[in-house]
Amino acid sequence: MLRRFAISFFLVLVTVSAPGRTRPHYGGTLHVGIEGDPWARPDGLAWRLVLDGLTTVDTGGAVQPSLAIDWKTENNAHRWQFHLRPGVQFQDGTPVTSVAVVESLSASCRAKCPWSEMRALGSAVVFLSDAPMPQLPAVLAGNAFLISRALNTGTSGTSGPIGTGAFQVSGFVNGVLSLTANTNCWRGRPFVDTIEIRVHRPVQDQWMDLSLGRADVVEVPAEQLRQAQQQRMQVVESPTALLLLLHVADEGALANPNMRAAIALAIDRTALSNVIFQKAGQVTASLLPQSLSGYAFLFPAERDLNKAHDLRGGLTPPAITLAADGNRAIQLVAQRIALNLREGGFNVQVTAPNAVHPNLSLHEVPIQNGNPSAVLEVMLENLGHSAAPADDGAASLYKSEREFLDAKTWIPLLDLPRAYAISSRVRDFQNGADGLPDLANASIIGPGEEAAR
Amino acid sequence: MSSGIIRATMLEQNRWIMTRHWFAPAVKKACLVIALGLISAAGQGSHCQVATVSAGSWEQPAASLADQVSGILGPGQARLTIRNLSTISGDNVPTIRRILEQDLKAHGVLTGDQESANTIRVTLSENMRERLWVAEILEGNETRVVMVPAGIPIAPAHTTAGAVVLNRKTLWRSSDQRQQNQNWAGEQVLSAVESNGSLHLLTDRRLVSYVSADSTWREQWSLALGAHQPLPRDPQGALTLSDDGRTVTAYAPGVECERTIVAASDSIPGTDSGNHAGQCKSSDDPWSVANGALRAKAFHSVNHNFFTGVITPSTGLELPAFYSAALLPRPLGGSALLINGIDGTVEIIENGAMKPVAGARDWGSDFAVLQTGCGAGTQIVASNSGEGQADSLRAYELPAQEALAASAPLGMNGSVMALSASPDGKSILTVVRLPAEPGRGNEYEVDRVTALCN
Repeated sequence: MLRRFAISFFLVLVTVSAPGRTRPHYGGTLHVGIEGDPWARPDGLAWRLVLDGLTTVDTGGAVQPSLAIDWKTENNAHRWQFHLRPGVQFQDGTPVTSVAVVESLSASCRAKCPWSEMRALGSAVVFLSDAPMPQLPAVLAGNAFLISRALNTGTSGTSGPIGTGAFQVSGFVNGVLSLTANTNCWRGRPFVDTIEIRVHRPVQDQWMDLSLGRADVVEVPAEQLRQAQQQRMQVVESPTALLLLLHVADEGALANPNMRAAIALAIDRTALSNVIFQKAGQVTASLLPQSLSGYAFLFPAERDLNKAHDLRGGLTPPAITLAADGNRAIQLVAQRIALNLREGGFNVQVTAPNAVHPNLSLHEVPIQNGNPSAVLEVMLENLGHSAAPADDGAASLYKSEREFLDAKTWIPLLDLPRAYAISSRVRDFQNGADGLPDLANASIIGPGEEAAR
Repeated sequence: MSSGIIRATMLEQNRWIMTRHWFAPAVKKACLVIALGLISAAGQGSHCQVATVSAGSWEQPAASLADQVSGILGPGQARLTIRNLSTISGDNVPTIRRILEQDLKAHGVLTGDQESANTIRVTLSENMRERLWVAEILEGNETRVVMVPAGIPIAPAHTTAGAVVLNRKTLWRSSDQRQQNQNWAGEQVLSAVESNGSLHLLTDRRLVSYVSADSTWREQWSLALGAHQPLPRDPQGALTLSDDGRTVTAYAPGVECERTIVAASDSIPGTDSGNHAGQCKSSDDPWSVANGALRAKAFHSVNHNFFTGVITPSTGLELPAFYSAALLPRPLGGSALLINGIDGTVEIIENGAMKPVAGARDWGSDFAVLQTGCGAGTQIVASNSGEGQADSLRAYELPAQEALAASAPLGMNGSVMALSASPDGKSILTVVRLPAEPGRGNEYEVDRVTALCN
């Protein structure tokens, strides 16, 4: 006890005074570089800066009120009623009413919606379904259900969606999307005045912009995390935010489940993680990461070439195609998987991403932190499977996941983080629950802080 | 008492290693009370708390897991393996194994036979929310899985002191409110003030009052801020008590609330009944920033996190926008106003002049004045960066225009969000935002900081 106290005392004495927490400053422009499209579905960077959902998920994974101030369920989660936050306006000044919310959700969810009926009821929105919707508040926090007044958006147009978020679209010129602070935002005005997002910017160019002081926030793909750290960039890394999966078409030679299982066993995930992603990715054979489920280890991810050969039963299926998009790391993953599968007795050709009906294809699915049951429900839906877990319990989630993955049409490979490098003038930079940057709460350091540095 | 000391010592040394044999429920409760009492005195409370909660938590999940396993396996022999993928210390695994073996045995499953065809493979795992114990039951080629949740650990706390000694005592934690199923839902704490055994907190949603009951804080009443102008990001808040201590006034950007403080016996837990006078209204009136001779009030920006620089009564000077202000008694008599400008400069206003304070470059945005009776009698307590993500507090004296350190830093458990002096100036309530843990949002704690002369 005395020793511990002495150590604590010593540590306190040797603490060098450094600037304490200063409150964030208002003003300035944040320059951001991204490789993709800020309006890409489902996880483009701009969506959550401009729009809000009825609910949101905090970084701890808890569902929090957003445009809905509270909600209640009746009839065993067959009916939900969400009460809207009073006094909220869209960025064009029109009020957010229950009718506007219903219109927005009807436009964004035309098919396979979690509800079968939705209607405005005074200042509330009511959702009805024949099947129970126990996770509806968490599901409504997803990007697919953000509330807007206009959805006719495009990358190159000057107009954008009109929402209630911290920023509003002010222009798109020369590949730069400009967003300005929404002074009347119901969450409070954001700290920076403007965000300029330079779109379709190759990562190496983004890094150059950062080093020259032309960018404040740039992307660091998982496969380049180590390189960024070696270059002593200030990197903010999220927990697992993306799941890399291989889709195996359930047709032709691969209609045989043993063949699909053989493919799963022939892939060397560890090599993918070590070689291509420089250990930034986590090997997985489950949908939910271990940090969310606690049971991911029950899905073995080790390669077993002998068992793969046994399952193939000496048959050599006809040549199969593997499609991968233009991302360099994904191309490398495709080539290495093709190599693995050839060792497993399959004849695989890597094709262009737009190939018609490939037998195999690589996909990245976003994983939002949150209630594991809701996260799994959204993931399963994104993968074309509508059966939701029966309840919140770990055993029920495991059962749902096991049933889905046993079909071997989707083979999880790696859990990947999202990461960003930031300039020294950015403060309070954090990743949101989806791993994307929470730029509404970031600020640019003030003159006093600069002097202290 | 000696028994209490021995048990507290055992708890301290073994922390997680406790068997149900000596830790019978009655003894457990007694130990908890004794140990918490001892610890409260020693300022080391949470170790025992962790040990007690955790030891209890081994038994319940072990019993539940054994029950489910035996339901599948039935009476007979099996081989038991345990691996630990969780943050549970490896030292505890033998204890958990022993408890599991006993529970399985009670269900007729004997685990001594290493040659048995049946295997129970237990994995101590966890996710962001909870521990999860998983048993894979291998019978021939068939594997079946059962799993049970197994609780969450509680992080320990620590306190430290320095030369002109600052002490802190944690009064309130948001996590405790949650664990006690009190009405708490991820609010931001903006300010805190104590009065007559009650603790009043201003959050971004309400003014809430707690009364101390059985070593916990029980919610006495709360007053919703209501739907006024949206609060800015990083909102500031302030609480002041009337001179007679009967009324608390809360200020948040665009909102002012006033509430009569009533005796605890009159209260209805968790509600704000109509008997109690209290209301919130939209307001851009100035906030009290300094009591005493000057009684200064300052206008706060409705949309931002700072005061505009306009003070009433006027100082006759054009003040810059600032984050915090305090009234500082001067060595030669009278008082000066100290402000912390948004440009990071601390200024002192006295005798009709505003002058920058040297030696305050490493201060955070908030400070408060503490009447210690030590040294110059009054110190300014400001935040500095501490180790890791945690800030520290340090006392300073300002004999002229240079701030001189008057204490060693006092380590806090997180970021200092607000400091407010008690009405008598002898203590400071500090709102601390704790580092976010995986799987949880931000938690807050309120600490009372006092000083002892060295």
